[in-house]
Amino acid sequence: MTAVVVHDPTLRDGQHAVRHQLGVAALRGYAEAADAAGVPVVEVGHGNGLGASSLQVGRAAVSDDLMLATVREALRRSKMGVFMLPGWGTSSDLRKAIAHGADVIRIGVHCTEPSLAERHLGWLAEQGADGHCVLMMSHMATAAQLAEHAAAAVGYGAKAVGLMDSAGYFLPQDVSERIGAITAAVDVPVIFHGHNNLGMAVANSVAAAQAGATIIDGCARGFGAGAGNTQLEVLVPVLERTGFSTGIDLYGLLDAAEFAERELMPAPPTTGTLSIVSGLAGVFSGFKHQVLDASSRAGVDPRDVFFELGRRQAIAGQEDLIVDVVAELGQREVAV
Amino acid sequence: MSISEMATETGRGGRIRVAVIGTGAIGQDLVSKVHRSPVLDLALAVGRNAASAGLAHAARLGYPTSDGGIDAVLAAERPFDVLFDATSAAAHLEHWRLLADEPTLLVDLTPSKIGQMVVPTVTGTHGTTGRDVSLISCGGQASIPVAHALAERFAVDYLEVVSTVASTIAGRATRLNLDEYVATTQHAVTTFTDVADTKAILNISPAVPPATFRTAVHAVIPGADAGAVRAVVDEVAARVRAFAPGYQVIACAVNGDRVVVSVEVTATSDVLPPYAGNLDIINSAAILVAEQHAARLSPAGGTGARA
Repeated sequence: MTAVVVHDPTLRDGQHAVRHQLGVAALRGYAEAADAAGVPVVEVGHGNGLGASSLQVGRAAVSDDLMLATVREALRRSKMGVFMLPGWGTSSDLRKAIAHGADVIRIGVHCTEPSLAERHLGWLAEQGADGHCVLMMSHMATAAQLAEHAAAAVGYGAKAVGLMDSAGYFLPQDVSERIGAITAAVDVPVIFHGHNNLGMAVANSVAAAQAGATIIDGCARGFGAGAGNTQLEVLVPVLERTGFSTGIDLYGLLDAAEFAERELMPAPPTTGTLSIVSGLAGVFSGFKHQVLDASSRAGVDPRDVFFELGRRQAIAGQEDLIVDVVAELGQREVAV
Repeated sequence: MSISEMATETGRGGRIRVAVIGTGAIGQDLVSKVHRSPVLDLALAVGRNAASAGLAHAARLGYPTSDGGIDAVLAAERPFDVLFDATSAAAHLEHWRLLADEPTLLVDLTPSKIGQMVVPTVTGTHGTTGRDVSLISCGGQASIPVAHALAERFAVDYLEVVSTVASTIAGRATRLNLDEYVATTQHAVTTFTDVADTKAILNISPAVPPATFRTAVHAVIPGADAGAVRAVVDEVAARVRAFAPGYQVIACAVNGDRVVVSVEVTATSDVLPPYAGNLDIINSAAILVAEQHAARLSPAGGTGARA
């Protein structure tokens, strides 16, 4: 069986679903449960990563320092992962994360902008750190472009590279083509990170593994923005049945997911109206809370807001566009 | 000394002699703005690549060029009055060191954070005292007028500035200097507002066609009044438009104690596309600084009397 490394960003990407409000007890409890199940990597942080607590996206309940210290202490076997967006976090955040014992450091960039990660990937390589690069909103580029950008990231020093389907837009054949192109272009492990807007996250992840990806992301109960991420406790047994070994204990994993449902979230993610619309519009579901808040204040249809954000090609981090779009749609309705 | 050499020495019509180092989009726009200035004379445009579009542009306008980098600046027969530095933060530190004994005023377009920070509507451009003036960053130039005006008028607990630049106009130095951009912009926001808790963020937008440069200023202002905020913001925007005419407030929303003001800047430039307002606003501020310096060096203005 081919070995796959399951990477668990429940305590980072899940933050988007709860406005970055996970507390210390929740972080510790889930990290201990994932560690007990043998999940190889547990990622933690604000939803947009190191240094990203902000009004733009949401202010975190717990500081980066406390989040990292808490999770590090809870992990015995699992590695600790962190995430950083250049322009949001900086090298000083990376330095702090390494000092806290982060093992896997992911630099996220919009899929067509790998050069934004050049400096940080180079610095991580110099430190001997396990620096990865993920190309976000990857539905916005072709397979050939993604392969070229992935190769560039490896050139900058990435020890693994891959795709985030940030808007949950892909269908399995899209994933096969893109991951296939990347595995042919690089000689480092390839990552796939799915979102479930169109109900495809597990199927897409299997397609990614079959196309050569060896690092697959999943979150307990799919904890994540909107429709959520790939559901970890479904992903793992499905990967095992399709011929991939994960090294994760099933009962331990199911227990961790029970803990997550009970302690991390008001309810598991569902594929609601705005998740479907954001998937179709190709917009990151993390915009959901702010779109809902601003739309209800202005009396505009949040579905229209998502489609307009899609038309403007909004990428992760551009939440400030929501205010403009809502104001503009509000004026249009008045004009009609 | 021949007449033509004398003409070069005094500069055209008593203008002050300036040089531009860095031939990316910022450097090219600076060359075109110097070209239009009545008091600045471009004595040298410097890059490191003879084939660069920036040097070709300067040469087309009839200005001396060199691909010799900072060495070409140091080798000049006599010092320049002003050197616009459009290279990178690390290179600027080196340039600052190398020019320590020269009378040249360095006008820094990189986020190196070493010079006296200037935001025209906040600090004015008259009072430059040191030999290095920092223009902070494009996001700083767009956000600080609003942030400063809010902090002056209201009790502000927290400030955050988020800028979005089109990918097509973000060159390699910008991409490698994101850390410096964040640190320098945040430092400047704190310095000019006295708000201790601040944050700066930069997004690079890949949208096609490219998105117009924008900056959102988020503030926490207990008891904020929407009408009063709007009045303050409109007033400061009008003052910024005096030197950056494409500066527009496009959203101003107050929700409880949360205030968000979004501005867009379109470029007015011979060489930049309209969406590149980030470069237009920082370069327009840089030109103001140099023109004020010219007024100090030749108070009679345009008479060549400074000698």
